[in-house]
Amino acid sequence: MSLFGALREQLNDAAETFAGSPGALSEILTGMVDDVDRALGERLEIFPVCHHSPASALAMARRLRDKRPQVIYLELCEDLRPLLDELRTCKLPVALQAFAAELDGFPESWGPLSVVAPITEASAEYQAIAYALDTPGVELVLVDRSSDHVFQWHPQEEPGKPAEEAGLHGDAVGVEIGDLRPRFAELEEHLLHHGKVRHWSEWWDQYVEQPLSGADYDTYRQVMVLIGSLFRRLRPYDADKLDRDEDRERYMWTRMREHLAATGADPARCLYVCGAFHAASRVEEFGLDAAPTDFDISPRTATNWLYGLIPSSHSAIESQFGLAPGSVSIAAATYDKAVTRSGVKPYALKGQQKGKRPAKLPPVVPLVAADQLTGFLSKPPERDPLDEAELVGWCVDIVRLARRNGYLSSTADAIAVYETSILLAGIRGRARPTPYDFQDAAVTCIEKDSVPGRRDVRRLCEILLGGDRIGEVGYQSMPPLAQDVFERLEPLGYDMKKRAVHRVLLDLNASPELRPCSQLLWVLRRLMPDHAVRPIMGSRRLGERSVQESWDVALGHHQRALIELGYEGVTVEQVLEQRLRRSVWEPKATAADALQAVEEAILFLGGRRFADELGARAVDLLAAERSVDDAPDVLRRIRRLLAHYRTTEPALPEWCERFVTTGYAQYCTLLPTAFVAEDVGVRQVAAMLGFLSSMESLALSLGCDRAQLELAVRQSHPETPGKIALLWAAQFQLGVLKIGELRERCAELLDNPLVVPSFPQYLSGFVQALEAAPALTPFVVEVISGAFARLPDGVLLPWLPTLIKTLRSEAPELVPVLIREAGRTFPATLAGVDTWAPPWPTPSGPGPGGGVAGGELVSGGPVAELLAAHPAPTDAVAALLGCEAAWKPLTHAGALPDGASAYGGSGDGGYPEVAALLERHPATAGAVAGLLTGGAAV
Amino acid sequence: MTDEMLRAPAEVKYAEELDWLESIDDGPKPFSWRLSPRMVRLFVLGSERSDGLDREIAQKWFGDRSFVERAIVTLASDRGLLLIGDPGTGKSWLAELLAAAISRNSTLVVQGTAGTTEDHIKYSWNVSMVIAKGQSRESMIPSPIMTAMEQGVIGRFEELTRSTSDVQDALISILSEKYVSIPELDDDNIVFAQPGFSIIATANSRDRGVNDLSSALKRRFNFVRIPVVTNKKSEAEIVRFRTTELLRRHNIDLELPPTLLDILLQSFADLRAAAASAQSDDGKLESALSTAEQIGVLEDAILHSNFFGDRTLKAETLAGSLVGSLARRSPEDLAILNKYWHGVIEPRSKKDGGDWQGFLEGGRQAIATLS
Repeated sequence: MSLFGALREQLNDAAETFAGSPGALSEILTGMVDDVDRALGERLEIFPVCHHSPASALAMARRLRDKRPQVIYLELCEDLRPLLDELRTCKLPVALQAFAAELDGFPESWGPLSVVAPITEASAEYQAIAYALDTPGVELVLVDRSSDHVFQWHPQEEPGKPAEEAGLHGDAVGVEIGDLRPRFAELEEHLLHHGKVRHWSEWWDQYVEQPLSGADYDTYRQVMVLIGSLFRRLRPYDADKLDRDEDRERYMWTRMREHLAATGADPARCLYVCGAFHAASRVEEFGLDAAPTDFDISPRTATNWLYGLIPSSHSAIESQFGLAPGSVSIAAATYDKAVTRSGVKPYALKGQQKGKRPAKLPPVVPLVAADQLTGFLSKPPERDPLDEAELVGWCVDIVRLARRNGYLSSTADAIAVYETSILLAGIRGRARPTPYDFQDAAVTCIEKDSVPGRRDVRRLCEILLGGDRIGEVGYQSMPPLAQDVFERLEPLGYDMKKRAVHRVLLDLNASPELRPCSQLLWVLRRLMPDHAVRPIMGSRRLGERSVQESWDVALGHHQRALIELGYEGVTVEQVLEQRLRRSVWEPKATAADALQAVEEAILFLGGRRFADELGARAVDLLAAERSVDDAPDVLRRIRRLLAHYRTTEPALPEWCERFVTTGYAQYCTLLPTAFVAEDVGVRQVAAMLGFLSSMESLALSLGCDRAQLELAVRQSHPETPGKIALLWAAQFQLGVLKIGELRERCAELLDNPLVVPSFPQYLSGFVQALEAAPALTPFVVEVISGAFARLPDGVLLPWLPTLIKTLRSEAPELVPVLIREAGRTFPATLAGVDTWAPPWPTPSGPGPGGGVAGGELVSGGPVAELLAAHPAPTDAVAALLGCEAAWKPLTHAGALPDGASAYGGSGDGGYPEVAALLERHPATAGAVAGLLTGGAAV
Repeated sequence: MTDEMLRAPAEVKYAEELDWLESIDDGPKPFSWRLSPRMVRLFVLGSERSDGLDREIAQKWFGDRSFVERAIVTLASDRGLLLIGDPGTGKSWLAELLAAAISRNSTLVVQGTAGTTEDHIKYSWNVSMVIAKGQSRESMIPSPIMTAMEQGVIGRFEELTRSTSDVQDALISILSEKYVSIPELDDDNIVFAQPGFSIIATANSRDRGVNDLSSALKRRFNFVRIPVVTNKKSEAEIVRFRTTELLRRHNIDLELPPTLLDILLQSFADLRAAAASAQSDDGKLESALSTAEQIGVLEDAILHSNFFGDRTLKAETLAGSLVGSLARRSPEDLAILNKYWHGVIEPRSKKDGGDWQGFLEGGRQAIATLS
């Protein structure tokens, strides 16, 4: 009779009583006992674990000290093994990551693939890892399927689940040691309902964790396998997941047998650490003595996997594995407490900071395996006595924390929370309030109808009970890229350990040696998420150079992003180069994208070679483009690049020249279609014309033919008002249309009441045309003024807001030009408006040229007098210009016999300021007069 | 006694159950409570086989266990209990059950309205008696709250936030000092609360901002927020539970087909999801879409088919009463229902057929009639 004979009989009886017959139920109940028996009887010692279970970690520490195994087999992806040695330099929790961007053997749509396995301090696997790595002669063998197999065995669906909000892990697939949870929702619901708890972590804590915290090794093992077996037996049969679980078990046992055969290790000195679920396995391969089967480990695909450590956090683990918020933190706190209380000395990797002073070792009493299950199943769980001081501490702290977060809580609340916690524990049948009871009590007493700050009371309780712990990957464990970045940022005194935002000030004039740092920061800015590095002052654009820069650097907080950059290359420059190259070669790339890449290559990487390569690609893309949507962007960028090259290089790069000639030919070809196509906007056509006219001289010097453009304009027959205006402007630019004709056409438009409503669109066209024909600026001001003067209010008023909006959004760079021109045209003062006449010919007034020459504007004053007194130079200039103008008599001062006395007079047309000035300083005037007239006194 | 009342209070309706529970209760009872906290919980949430009782106790309030526990524990502590939540989430029903289980009296209720005065909370005078005999304890009319204080039982205050702030603040001294003084009297002028006295108030979260609670009063109440039930299973149970009760009350012999119940629950779930994703108030129905609303719809449909139909509940009738109850604003609500009917129900009736087809037809007609 085996160890559990009595228990088995008892369960059989129970099954009979409940189910009426010893049928299915007894099979499940006794089967569970069989599983326990089998797992415990295996030659290779199986250590069943559950994730985030302090009891597991504690039992593991005890067992390792007791048994001192030579080989530890661990249920973890076998290809992650090299990473474990690097845990030493990290602050837990961190996650082991396998990452693959270039897939071979998986559908492209799955990529990038990522597997993460988080490691926390309060876990059995960490104990095993720490023991194995720090004890000489102990071998740690990971036996679970590789990351590649995770995806090979993945059901045929998109593997990337939507990312969680606190996703330090991104959208990776999580693997964990000891996943132990009911496999279907109803069972879990049932357990929670009858356990009178809210969520799984609470159930586990109350019914397994607490009873097991002080249990001996046998009890621990038996109970864990029993629970694993329960979930294994109560599961939906058709679940894919189980097949994968069984495959994994086959895999692990095969690997272990292979290892034992290869090394000849003594199974009695080995320990197999696996989830309790797998400990209760019934696959044929189970056990060292199992008969060989035809299970074959499939080869990995050719996918190139990269490995690294990334920082993890309790909240990331909770959200990835569907645990209740705060449960991992509470487990960690429970573990710390249990360690202190039990006096077990946990293992920790050397070099890793862990402040716990181990207590004295308790004597190891060899235990004889006995049936511990019967007691566990029949007795109510024993509980810790009430730790009153701890509860009081919590109550006081939560009130303080709540107050700091905007709640109006006081000592009275602390008392109420204390009382309520105890009452709640009482009504829930617990001798001692658990953290969950305390949390409920705090919510009841402190939370009112609204949350005043960012965090509610529930969250504050989580913070109080341990809070989220965020891991950190040590310098040595980082990929070369991250190490390189930190090394290069050293001159700034940047502390990579700090998670807070670090403000960096760079005075590049005073300390030019910081220039490389600034360069690096700009590259990081380009490559990393928005808040990782953020310039507060300073900018980087072509033709600009900051003298001082100020940065907010938070690389500590974005460690994961930096580490993942490390999967792409060895330095940030290499990563940027790859990304730029990829961006211009992808199928959807446009010429504008390529020009942007060129710009970035110049800004961030420097050096001609790479920029030239990207530029050549831009030429190809432009030549292949059939759409002109990006024309404004292309124009803006190529102008900037040309300006850059002209100022910095002796000659334009070859690709620039080709770009201009290709663009000239390309846009000439596309112009007639663009003018009529409905889906091409005025702005695009204007940008094309802008390109054609502003690059014209360069293009012509490189062998293009202007006739092509003239023909293209002649072929264009636009129909919409905006484009018609553009066409006129283009014709003006080409010299086909004179300004007078243009003016006439506009006047006709304004005279025609049927066209007036669409006149604003013509105007928009003209404004856009300034890109192509800057010489039209005075004319555009004239047309706008004319429109303001003549358009009826019904058309003008609704159009004004549109005009402002359009100018702002579509032609912001043209507005200053217009305003400058308007400033030149219109008088600056109110008084000037009365006498102002427009400089252009108005239908009623004389033309501008005639007006000025007629002398009406300049009818007197010192200049006129001076000119009248000495007509010879003026006559000579007039003769040179071929102008036959006659002198007119001066109306004011010129008529007076004594010029000097006229200035002193207060009559009409006098210049009192001039007179006053001359009176104060008569010497100057006297000298001038002496020179001119030969001795007249003032 | 139950037969003579249109609606018996919980302590009368479940008197026998409460008696039985009291007889077997051996747990510690706070103050003058009639049941221990665990038994109160059992009474409200019903028994399980694992409780090992000789008889079954039906579940009376459906919702998260922890809400009930927190509520009971609050009543055993020094503070008042404020149940807050959307209309129709069962706040008042929970308050009634708790009062019935704890003190066997759930009728000491003050209804908060804009017209509630301090007299309704403290005391008022029988004017003719005052004229005849002068002011004395005999001529004083105590409010339900004062009665609850004198008897050491639970007093209830419904819709606390509907009454004005000065009236609300009269509760502050009652909740902290636990006595009411009567300055008009020379002696015997203080009414002290007996142990066991506490207040269960309810407040409607949709009324927030009408008469906000002062922070002094907030401090004296523990808030328990009751969410709208969105779990389909428990919602089905609530609806079935309340409807059965209703059918019994009306002596109606009519079967509630499970498929129709599913349709009702599904359509409410859809409409709730639509309301949650609506951008503005115009995009969501005015109704809170609570469980009580569902019961109302079903009740309406049952009564309609019982008195005007052929005594069987049909999908058409259900659709008609659903549209009738939810379309409160025209045209906003009608437009939403119209969109829902044609965007969701129509494809579903094509796909699933069955009662959905009748539901589609009935709803269409009802919308057409109202438009």
